[in-house]
Amino acid sequence: MAEALFQISEPGQSRVKAACTPGFSRAVGIDLGTTNSLVAMVQNGKPVALADDGGDAIVPSVVHYASDGDVIVGSAARDLFAPVFPSDTIASAKRFVGRGPRDAEATRKLTPYVFAPASAGESENVVRFAVAGERAVTPIEVSAEILRVLKARAEAALGTTLDGAVITVPAYFDDGQRQATRDAGRLAGLEVLRLLNEPTAAALAYGLDKQAEGTFAVFDLGGGTFDVSILKLEAGVFEVKATGGDSALGGDDFDRAIAAALLAQLGLPADAGGDRKLTRRVLDAARALKHALTDAAEASVDVAVGDSVTTLRLSRDEMEALVRPVLGRCAPSVRRALKDAGTEPAALSGVILVGGATRMPLVRRFVKELFGHEPLSDIDPDQVVALGAAVQADILAGEGRDDVLLLDVVPLSLGLETMGGVVEKLIHRNTTVPCGATQTFTTYADKQTGFDLHVVQGEREMVDEVRSLARFKLSGIPPMPAGLARLEVTFLVDADGLLKVTAREESTGQEASIQVKPSYGLTDEEVERMLLDSFAHAESDVKTRLLAEQRVEAKRILGALHAATADTPELLTDDDRRAIALAQAALDGAVVGEDANAIRAAVEDLDRASKPFAERRMNRALESGLRGRDVGAVEAKVAETESKTDLKTRVDAHQGHRHG
Amino acid sequence: MICWSCEKDAGNEALCASCGAPQAISTHGAARDHFAVLGVERRYDLDVAMLESRYKELSRKLHPDRFAKGDPRARKAALQRTVELNEAWRALKDPMKRATYLLELGGVKIATDDGGARSGGVAASPALLMEMLELREELGDARAARDDAKVRAMGEAMKARAARSEAAVAAALAGTPTREALEGAARELVALRYYARFLDEVTAHEDAAAARAEASHG
Repeated sequence: MAEALFQISEPGQSRVKAACTPGFSRAVGIDLGTTNSLVAMVQNGKPVALADDGGDAIVPSVVHYASDGDVIVGSAARDLFAPVFPSDTIASAKRFVGRGPRDAEATRKLTPYVFAPASAGESENVVRFAVAGERAVTPIEVSAEILRVLKARAEAALGTTLDGAVITVPAYFDDGQRQATRDAGRLAGLEVLRLLNEPTAAALAYGLDKQAEGTFAVFDLGGGTFDVSILKLEAGVFEVKATGGDSALGGDDFDRAIAAALLAQLGLPADAGGDRKLTRRVLDAARALKHALTDAAEASVDVAVGDSVTTLRLSRDEMEALVRPVLGRCAPSVRRALKDAGTEPAALSGVILVGGATRMPLVRRFVKELFGHEPLSDIDPDQVVALGAAVQADILAGEGRDDVLLLDVVPLSLGLETMGGVVEKLIHRNTTVPCGATQTFTTYADKQTGFDLHVVQGEREMVDEVRSLARFKLSGIPPMPAGLARLEVTFLVDADGLLKVTAREESTGQEASIQVKPSYGLTDEEVERMLLDSFAHAESDVKTRLLAEQRVEAKRILGALHAATADTPELLTDDDRRAIALAQAALDGAVVGEDANAIRAAVEDLDRASKPFAERRMNRALESGLRGRDVGAVEAKVAETESKTDLKTRVDAHQGHRHG
Repeated sequence: MICWSCEKDAGNEALCASCGAPQAISTHGAARDHFAVLGVERRYDLDVAMLESRYKELSRKLHPDRFAKGDPRARKAALQRTVELNEAWRALKDPMKRATYLLELGGVKIATDDGGARSGGVAASPALLMEMLELREELGDARAARDDAKVRAMGEAMKARAARSEAAVAAALAGTPTREALEGAARELVALRYYARFLDEVTAHEDAAAARAEASHG
């Protein structure tokens, strides 16, 4: 128990031993989630999520950027650093992937982040977070850090390098968001075998495990995205009939709705007065309450504001009233997906639940009402996506199985802007991929020598109402009267759901040049530059990678210990001080060396030396009423050094009678 | 065609007759029609279940996932062939799309939406245009008045009308249709396009009504 204070699950500690023998895949499936991420691989013919030493498969999708340039990923970043350095610790980066600064505005009302403008020569339509060390990082880079940790965990488990990875994306991600996710994989040094839609991955895991046949709906409500897919499972073919959703709707929005009510209870303005630490604290309190209310009928949380601590109470009924309107936004997408699939709820064989938010009793009732089916959740909704991705990785990596085939679709229509800002759709939503379409355009002015093409995605008719994907310039057309030049534009969507556009001028047979400039995301040159700049990329072999991980781990332990001793010096005996000082000096020495095992041993020594102290702290925490439900909250308390505005989060789950 | 992989005669199918490697689509000669791609007879009254199992069987053989680690030429050919296959399945699985495609193959053109008479081909009669205009107006009024029952009733009537047109298309295209039968089917298909747009508006109204109910929930 005491070790829980410092031994939070860390990816680098992963020691899952998997012999590299035939039958073991060297390709992994990665669920890169808004809140949590996982990596899984097929072992002995079955997909398995890779856990750390503590048995924890989940890596929180939280990245902390320290002022000295270090990057810390996972629960340490979430629990230790986010409360103290809210704007240097990025959670939910996925919400910003492939999005522009204007999209980020939507969350600006209650955000712990500081957004930075683009520097000269950088893509302007990319969100940039200003973090410690005067750096600006894009959501792509933040995602790449998470992927690096998962890659290292998998390589440690395999004892060798990876052949490649299947990374999952929300089915409703547009092309820009998909390209950005692929770029993140490249930055992390992964060969991305496929981008796989999350609900499809879940259906794959579920269908194979349960030998299910029939038409199923997958209701996937994660931290930041909502997807619904209708699939037909038959004789090993998983055919997506239709998909729908909202790539900006998830559990995070529930937290924000609850946080808004908490701020009102505290008599504070909706933006928490611009106080980033308070914002982070209130959001964390909202999340803690939401989790507690999954099982309890009532819960309370203590939030410190200024010098005073206020206990905020919330019942499940009250929370459900706050969350219900947000959840209701799922309904139109579900109805449309059913219609597009040409089916109705009664014709479904079942509804599969995916995503952490589907643990909420309210969400389960909502799904049951919507579909008229008791939802299926017998595979862990947190793991099912990664498990399905691992199966697809196994299929794609070769030698694997040919008994399974996935047929997925384009989630949103793809088209071109034509005269007057009207969108001409070339590929309609829910078309099975891979697919293509060709359209011929002509010049509208005499002696016109170039075409400006604007590629867009969305269902609406006007260009202002759909998403801009890219702008092309096709030039070098010889001057001709209007209407004579014939421009053939071809759209091709590959099995990843990624769009490629080519254009050529036909009448003269002359090849024309094409310039591509993505509207969102990074240019190829920018990604290349980041790859070159990326220090971690140079350390692609497992050994160096593990060394770096151990250094981060050591730093984290030292930081936590420092915070803890500053917080409760009265709990330190002289023996403790001596033992800790010795172990700390040894660790300081090991960290500057090159031996990962030596660092690990020194970390373990320090952990042993500080164990009596840690136990006393834990006992005190327990005495002061902690129910042990939320270790993260304790960590937050440990890490918070500024005692005045300390977050003394205490979640009491009053187990009461359940509401139907 | 000579196979890029085994250098023997590949035949004319998607997969090499000798070694089974996927073959790129030839740029010479006429493209295969959708019926040929799926390997079925060119006719309207096809068994959709048979068509679907044919599509899935071919997908299993041709899908790029089968060649993910293969030769780049195999991957490219598999991608091309699967695009072609998906397009064929999309065009043939829906009876009305299948009918439209058969007319196209039979040389009967249906005027495009925006082009009207300008684009040539069978277009809507002025009488139909006038009638649909009036019906749309009536529907618009009912929507504005939030008269859900009226909208539903108009939708049901239009669905019944569409079903009759679909049956007429099926009857006209059964067996080996004459030129006259093809043109009759074309007129019904043009009308169906207007019916579909009417029904889209009914659906839009129902969605909006459901969203309103959703918003006032709890």
